[in-house]
Amino acid sequence: MSRKAARLLAVVAALSLFATVPAAAQAKKVITISGSTSVYPLEVLLARKWIKTKQGKKYGFRILQGGSNVGVSDVSKGRVSIGASSRDPASTDPGGLVFTKIAGDALCIITNNSNPLGNITKDTIQKIFLGPTFTNWTQVPGAPISGTIDPIGRAPTSGTHDSFRNIFLGGTNQGSFVAGKASNGLVQQGVQSDDHAIGYVSLAFTSGVHVVDYNGVACTLRNAQSFQYGGDRSFYFVTRGAPVGGVKKFLNWTTHSNKANKIVATDWIPLH
Amino acid sequence: MRRRFGLQKAGPRNSSDQRAELLLGALACVVLALIAGMIIFVFQKAWPSFSHNGLDWFNPFAGGNVDDQLTAIFESPGNPSQYVFTMHAWPLLYATALITICSVVIGVGFALLSAMFIVEFAPDALRRVLEPVVRLLAAVPSVIYGLIGILVLVPFVGNHIISQGAKDSVAGVVTLSGPSVGVGILILTVMITPIMIAIVVDALRAVPVGWREGSVSLGVNRWRAMWTVTVRAARPAIVAAAVLATARALGEAIMLSMVTGSVGFAPNPLDGIIYFVEPARPLAATIVDNSEGLSVPPFADTLYAFAAVLLVSAAFLSFGGWYIRRHLRRYTLSPI
Repeated sequence: MSRKAARLLAVVAALSLFATVPAAAQAKKVITISGSTSVYPLEVLLARKWIKTKQGKKYGFRILQGGSNVGVSDVSKGRVSIGASSRDPASTDPGGLVFTKIAGDALCIITNNSNPLGNITKDTIQKIFLGPTFTNWTQVPGAPISGTIDPIGRAPTSGTHDSFRNIFLGGTNQGSFVAGKASNGLVQQGVQSDDHAIGYVSLAFTSGVHVVDYNGVACTLRNAQSFQYGGDRSFYFVTRGAPVGGVKKFLNWTTHSNKANKIVATDWIPLH
Repeated sequence: MRRRFGLQKAGPRNSSDQRAELLLGALACVVLALIAGMIIFVFQKAWPSFSHNGLDWFNPFAGGNVDDQLTAIFESPGNPSQYVFTMHAWPLLYATALITICSVVIGVGFALLSAMFIVEFAPDALRRVLEPVVRLLAAVPSVIYGLIGILVLVPFVGNHIISQGAKDSVAGVVTLSGPSVGVGILILTVMITPIMIAIVVDALRAVPVGWREGSVSLGVNRWRAMWTVTVRAARPAIVAAAVLATARALGEAIMLSMVTGSVGFAPNPLDGIIYFVEPARPLAATIVDNSEGLSVPPFADTLYAFAAVLLVSAAFLSFGGWYIRRHLRRYTLSPI
């Protein structure tokens, strides 16, 4: 019995040594981020680059996803240093939060490849997604096909739903007949497999489907970056109060340095 | 334990036995405490949603659109005294019940007949292939079925089964594009049947051969002997299999979220044949689709209320199954 206990103690001691040594060796300050799944790929690229700079060397990152609203709520409760949000500040957000814009993104209207609709206006989008004034493709100006329109949307809790409502629907919620999918990918898949579907996704999710021009401008990275495309939205880093310490340095670098700008420009709309 | 198996204490009390007994007892207690804690936590979180809505929470005629209600709850003002809680969850409850009951009923029939075939009628070569395949199917993760559904079945139903006339007849109310209760029921049946087959096969095998041989020797054919003697004796196990399958069907979230349409719509039997291609969204799938809203307190309470309903249903299911099994056992001299 006592020999077993001694052996157990030795094992525990050895394990705890393993656990403590690396932590002591690092001694880096950790910046935590949680929030939007749309911002996630961008924030990972930014963080990776920053910890290689002179300033960033002293810091480490822990990055989680969860959705824009999770990020906002986490940061307001002090669970993370930065919340990532793909939606604008809302009146229902907790007080004292500071939204710092880090990049722009475009929301594209997509249809099935067999329905290469040339152009769509805000008015048409509202007639399809709000009260169903348009239920057949023959009612849509310029539509090459006929048949019932199958609108596909996102769940009301997503940041993309919020952006779509504010940019295209004039602040009104989409009708309850619109399917509320859980992710960009599911909307993309739904449109891909249904000839009569129409949906909205982030610019990064437009492969395999037809991207419709909005008000005569194509939804492309170039048009979005030159601000000709009307369906752009912002990505934010949210902090509780003005950023301080490492978070402030990271945010300054993200919003001001050329290196950060270049990373943003690969797939998103840079600030300058 | 010792007494039940008729073992005598050998000499002085064995200390390693004693230690094992204590350890296992402690583990069992931890499990019980965890379950109790979970139930208390879920109900405590869910309570505001139930208390604000009363019986309208369950009322089929309470009215309102469940998705509009979810959106309103999600957008409640930040002030706790102004939280919105209105939730008439009937369409979600209805979708859960419809999909679960249909797939379990179809699944039990299939499982019973397949198990009878495997145990009694299948040639040896076929049986050697069938049994491992069934067990493998029982272990396939549900997300794989979901992918097959969304990539193959949903587009097929949308493009080939649903007619243009049917789509037009409900345009503007609900979108018929493939995701539907029918696809959900079909895939769920495929998902839960293998585990039922595996359990029923074991149960049929456990019935003493002598009983069946006895009836065969009286001149009854194999099918009748199987049906009237073996299956009858194995009834408690069949109920157990059905209960297990129902529990799995009830809690299935990911697959149903992918193939049933993500709309809080209650399919209307008066719509005729298109009833089965209308979309719906069961409780568990609603939790998955909207888990991003957990950061909004009243919305989280509502999702916990869905979870509480699922927990209670699962509990009722267990008790119901236990009661039926006890009842059956009294009349069947079952060895199981």
